[in-house]
Amino acid sequence: MTRPASDASAGGSPAAAVGAPRVLVVVAESGILHSVRQWAPELEARIEFAPDLPHAARQLSQGGWDAVVCALGDRPEDDLAWWVDAVRGVPGTPRLIAFVERPSMGLAIRAEQLGVPDLLPLPMRRDDLANALKRARTVESEAPMPLPEVGAVPDGQYALVGRSPEMLEVYKLIARVAPSTATVLIQGESGTGKEVVARAIHEQGPKATGPFVAVNCAAIPENLLESELFGHEKGAFTGAVTRKPGRFELARAGTLFLDEIADMSLALQAKILRAVQEREIERVGGTETLPVEVRLIAATNRDLKEAIAQNRFREDLYYRLAVVPIRLPRLADRGDDLLLLTAYFARQFAERYRKAIRSISDRALELLRSHPWVGNVRELRNVVERAVIVATGATIQAEHLPDELRAAEATLPEAGTRGLLTLAEVEARHIARVLAHTNGQIGAAAEILGIHRNTLTRKMKEYGL
Amino acid sequence: MKSPLPPVRVEQALRLLPELEVLLPLRSLILSVSRPEEQAQWSSHGPYLTVGKRSVEPAELRQRAAEAAEQVKEHVGALYAAYVEALECQQRGEAGAAVNALRQAGAREEQTGRGEQARAWFETAQALAEGLQDRRPEIEVLLALGALDETLGRHAEAARRYQRALALAEAEFHQAGAIAACLGLGDVALGTGQWTGARAWFSRGMRLAEASGDLAASGQLHHRLATLARRTGDLAPAGEHLRQARECLEPLGEASAMARVLNTQGQVDAGLGREAAAVAAYREALAWARRGERDAGLEAIIRLNLAELHLAAGRLLEAEEEARRAEQVAIAHGLTRRLVQSYLLMGRMRGRQRDETGFVFFEQAIQLCQTLERSPALAAQVYQDYGLFRTVLGSRDEARAYLERAREIFESLGDTLEVEKVREELQQVSA
Repeated sequence: MTRPASDASAGGSPAAAVGAPRVLVVVAESGILHSVRQWAPELEARIEFAPDLPHAARQLSQGGWDAVVCALGDRPEDDLAWWVDAVRGVPGTPRLIAFVERPSMGLAIRAEQLGVPDLLPLPMRRDDLANALKRARTVESEAPMPLPEVGAVPDGQYALVGRSPEMLEVYKLIARVAPSTATVLIQGESGTGKEVVARAIHEQGPKATGPFVAVNCAAIPENLLESELFGHEKGAFTGAVTRKPGRFELARAGTLFLDEIADMSLALQAKILRAVQEREIERVGGTETLPVEVRLIAATNRDLKEAIAQNRFREDLYYRLAVVPIRLPRLADRGDDLLLLTAYFARQFAERYRKAIRSISDRALELLRSHPWVGNVRELRNVVERAVIVATGATIQAEHLPDELRAAEATLPEAGTRGLLTLAEVEARHIARVLAHTNGQIGAAAEILGIHRNTLTRKMKEYGL
Repeated sequence: MKSPLPPVRVEQALRLLPELEVLLPLRSLILSVSRPEEQAQWSSHGPYLTVGKRSVEPAELRQRAAEAAEQVKEHVGALYAAYVEALECQQRGEAGAAVNALRQAGAREEQTGRGEQARAWFETAQALAEGLQDRRPEIEVLLALGALDETLGRHAEAARRYQRALALAEAEFHQAGAIAACLGLGDVALGTGQWTGARAWFSRGMRLAEASGDLAASGQLHHRLATLARRTGDLAPAGEHLRQARECLEPLGEASAMARVLNTQGQVDAGLGREAAAVAAYREALAWARRGERDAGLEAIIRLNLAELHLAAGRLLEAEEEARRAEQVAIAHGLTRRLVQSYLLMGRMRGRQRDETGFVFFEQAIQLCQTLERSPALAAQVYQDYGLFRTVLGSRDEARAYLERAREIFESLGDTLEVEKVREELQQVSA
């Protein structure tokens, strides 16, 4: 039999009253409620209660919370997503500690993906809760480190920042190719800065006074891409309400940057090839031939050779575009550029959002360094922007980073002695992280962990994953 | 080793699908099983990702298509069963039960988004109900028809249905029916900008609800009065009605109704410039929505309002994230209308940033209106927003063309309020 919990608070010991973390425990089950009330003095926390999610949402909106403890119900994955959503955006970003009956592997993976490091089994045990609350307090011990000077870089969104050997090679290539009008093909993973490089080539080239026109081939609906590139006459198709010049025309005497070129249909590739070879185009629905007077720079994050092998990309177009190929390195391969880029973006966004950010904590930097950065510089830029927005002081701290990064906190070495994990806990968390990374594929996870899949299966069983 | 074939884009998948009514569930399925490619999140087209650019795996579709076909079979089976039940009831001389069976078949059609089919069932039920001595079944059918017409934007027809339901309910002393009819009539008036009429109908409903001690109905009517007050800019009375709505609904544990009330509370707080309070109200609304029966449409609209709030405050990152969440909910649950609204919001956001590539959201919205939603009112809204987007970017001719298209559609629907708005926008473009 359950009864709704009241909003009454359990103050804890006198020591817990001032400076102790404020924790909202959301439970409807009277047994758990009773236990937490009893444990309150030893948890060194100011504990308050809410009976359910709606009431919790109301209480959380008042701000000032350090942690939220919840019990997931019959649909734990769904519940967890709602709790993460409810806690996100709450002033102070409290840490979510979720309890659940028999955490499954799927749920552990989901928790990792949602950035919830504390997924603990029911029945609730005092030590589990106490340890989780201690972990929530570790941010207190973060040490600020001044952000380094980036040096002179152009203002705006499109600066090239970095001093790693990989980037120095890129700079050399840009310097070599920019003075000509040769077609350039820039390749690299998503977010490595292909458009930034394209702009740099344009700005240092002979057509710098002309326009730089970028077309994102993957963003534009396939049926509209041709008219976007070549323009159209009024009435050429439904929706062609006026005559419209295409990007080739708009880029006249400048540079046309075709981003994500591999996403173009074969039919359109043929038309691009004709434009590159004949140096002339026609608007859709038009008969007039227009000269092509642009420098062409193309970019892709795909393997064009493989696309050619799969008959998805024209080989003749590839060789027309790849007159000068430039390959951009992944952020993970750029060493200390990470810190420089962090400093650069932090200053940029601090100015935009009128903040006085001057440093980053050692812990936040460690989290940035341990992140895989699949989205490369674009992902870092996003993370720093968010951190600057939520930061209240002059230092970017771990708590200002998004959940996905903070989830890795549990596997970082602790700064103090409070909230230290046992070896088994670290191992369990690391296994869950790797499984999250491989989307639950045990074989792939075992390979990354360097253990036999039978050993992994045994450990997963042991840790209740 | 042969590398795996890349997945197929939704836009390509839809091009292969003929526009046949029988294939509509498959069309929706393609959207709901689609997912963004992993690398899309951080690629340069990530911010412009629309449902057309998501990917589907033919193998997954093959598997899920069988499930979808099974659901279609179940749906058709239920309709056949409802019809047979109605026939048996008629044979036994239980015409009221026959009306009920037909009405439920209509409700089932309506739930799956088949408005016209639902109307056919309801009208058959109504024809049968008209001959009955007991008028209650007819009242129920009329209320269902009124709500359906209102949803489809047929305000005049909806009003006629509700008027007839009210007359019958009063004659039969059917209090709940009369309250529902007043609510419906108020909604029609609200939807067509007849504020005085709306207030009169809601107040009349409120008197009936209070007299019968119907707390749930009182809560709903307070909510409607709050919505009306908000629309007319009377934010203080709106807040008071919302407080009373909460007092009525919270003890009843009416989770969905509470979520709606808090959603309106968020809008009122936003109107008053109380940003933090608005965010808190929307967050609590989401929490109530979670507690009630899953209403994905409600969740999506709350998220869109939250995104709108962030956008108005210039918090573009948060606005984008919340709009994307609304998009995700809409795609997963086949809510085309909400999906279109998410794209309109994202398009407006890009317009604010003077980002020309934002046109992709309006183009996607147009395509969805043409292939899935088929609501003229929504299509008009899309053209109107597209026109405003073009205005911001300085493309006057295109802006004018889209606004003219919006005006034509609103005129054909008899929506004078919107026609007037678009006229003003056209004047501004031409100035």
